[in-house]
Amino acid sequence: MSAAQHQALVLGSVSFVAFIFFLCFLLPSQRTKFSVFDACNLLFVALTFGAVALLDLSGGRAEIMVAVMTELPVVLIVAWVCLALAGGLPAQLGTLPAAPVARRPWLRAILMSAPFVLLLSVGLATTVGLVWPSPALRVYAPAPAQFFVWKGLIMAPEGFYSGLAAVVFMMAGRTPGLKRRIYFKNLTFSIGMVCIASIALESTVFAGLRVWLSGEGRRAILETLNTLEAGLAISCILAFTAGLSLRYTPAVATTLLHRLQTGWLRTQEQFESLEWQAVSSGVADRLTYASEAVVAACRIRGLSESDTQKALATIRLVAVMRDPSSETQHITPTAARKLYELQEEILCDDILASKISWAAGWRSRAHETQTVKSAPLHDALKAALELVDNHREGEGVKTPPLWYYIVAASAADAKMIDPAHLSMQLRDGAEHRAAVEAYDAARCALRRFEDHD
Amino acid sequence: MVNVDVPTRDLTVPFLDRLAGLWRPFRNLGAARSGANGSRSLLTAAEFQEELAILGLSGRTFEPEDYSDALGDFLDISITVHVIPDSWYPELSRLLALSGRLGELRYSEQLNMAAIFVPGSLPPLVLTLTILHELGHLAAGDLLIEPDEPFEEDDQHAEQATFETLSLKKGKKLARGYPFARESLREREANLRASYALFAGCLGNDSPYALDMHDVL
Repeated sequence: MSAAQHQALVLGSVSFVAFIFFLCFLLPSQRTKFSVFDACNLLFVALTFGAVALLDLSGGRAEIMVAVMTELPVVLIVAWVCLALAGGLPAQLGTLPAAPVARRPWLRAILMSAPFVLLLSVGLATTVGLVWPSPALRVYAPAPAQFFVWKGLIMAPEGFYSGLAAVVFMMAGRTPGLKRRIYFKNLTFSIGMVCIASIALESTVFAGLRVWLSGEGRRAILETLNTLEAGLAISCILAFTAGLSLRYTPAVATTLLHRLQTGWLRTQEQFESLEWQAVSSGVADRLTYASEAVVAACRIRGLSESDTQKALATIRLVAVMRDPSSETQHITPTAARKLYELQEEILCDDILASKISWAAGWRSRAHETQTVKSAPLHDALKAALELVDNHREGEGVKTPPLWYYIVAASAADAKMIDPAHLSMQLRDGAEHRAAVEAYDAARCALRRFEDHD
Repeated sequence: MVNVDVPTRDLTVPFLDRLAGLWRPFRNLGAARSGANGSRSLLTAAEFQEELAILGLSGRTFEPEDYSDALGDFLDISITVHVIPDSWYPELSRLLALSGRLGELRYSEQLNMAAIFVPGSLPPLVLTLTILHELGHLAAGDLLIEPDEPFEEDDQHAEQATFETLSLKKGKKLARGYPFARESLREREANLRASYALFAGCLGNDSPYALDMHDVL
């Protein structure tokens, strides 16, 4: 077996073992488009090196063609990686660029050029190799100068783009606050690309030594470099395998996020903005007095600001839902119930419920935030539905808070709801009596205030 | 809703207009290649994540103030948000509500500044989304549309996947695509930007789109 066949056997065996590993362990559990592409490339490389190891392919042009075939999978992988980093892959394979690339249009342009430059250089190298054949597969044989040109044409762009990709992976991994698994994934890919860049550099040096080095130490130097190349190839395959094994599933799935954006957020915004428009434009004319009385009654009973806001939100909702005007026609008990159910869906998911929040005010010093749970609307929706929707009388509030009774008293007084619809259970309690007393006191105070004016 | 302060014109304007008219066919030739006066689909969450990466906000939790500051820095304009308390201008909320609007964006090309006005009585979520909506118009470059390019509003093709876009006068925008020719689509896209921004700001690096930008293979 010649040195070339021996080298091909080593690289072919490594590629084949890696392919089997991909097939048995990686693809069934961690399948990505890139891992499938990688597996196909590994099989192709293993078959090509296997053919070189088993068959005697000596002869200038045949050697050039086989050598180009063995380089092609690596070139394709580098091109794929560069395109993926630039966000240039077709939509079904993923369209987002790596974060550091998105900020740098020039970097994106360079990475996008990778497939064209790499394939052009391979084409050019093939032409050069076929016009001026050289012993590409006879590893230690002396070679003419055109062999260096042939090798350099493939290796220079391959080394440049893989080195650039390694830097981008490193930059992507160093983003502050990134999950540890994603950091290591980028690190392993960066190591893999550094290995490819190192192989490209080593191959170019190797080609130069074959052309220009002579003397006793020549063989030993070339053998050392050959061993180094095999080591780098194994490291590269191991790094990519490790990188592809590291998968991270986001806490919030894309489909769920899309459903929240088009479902809950859209519904809540429409609901709240329509309600605001109805209230601000004075459509719900019964509301002004009722809301003032509710706030005053809450203050008389010493309720917290949060409970007062809930009471206010509830009386607003009841007023708007009971208003027959066209401006408020979309705020119906059905719409309110739909929104409430969407909110409940979010509250079932602890991560979402804790993460989705919005500022209570613009540039507020206290940086107060509201969540679905803490915003007054959630409890207000439930309370307003209880008061307005007669069909749900049986599912009444089990132990309503005091603010609920105050709203009920106010809504009944303003003829927004029929007092008969308040269940006996609610009307007979001490809380209800206390709320009615507070409401009556608030109403008297407001009347005195108006008379005074 | 958007209002643009068109700069006052002097005697040189007719001459410049004529020059612009001569230049337009050449400019449009180049613009057609990059998507101006072409067509595109509505902004996706992934494309918005790319915009956030440009602003340096991808994978970070942020508030509308941060988005406004980053956008202002990128566009090289001053963006101020004025939340007007109802007690200052009691009529503002009523007038806005009657006109079916929630806020207003004013942009002055000459002063290099934009101002967003929103009533303080808006519910917090609506206030946040309204501010983000108006910022979305700035990001999209909706205020840079040539005022002299008329476009027929046509609702017949509302469901098509791609929609016609317009060319822009000189100015900077964050979006890759050009603004839609139809105002209703520009409003729809500003709504999309607002909802994407709200979720991206809340989720930070838990956003699947932010994760995709660090996990490309």
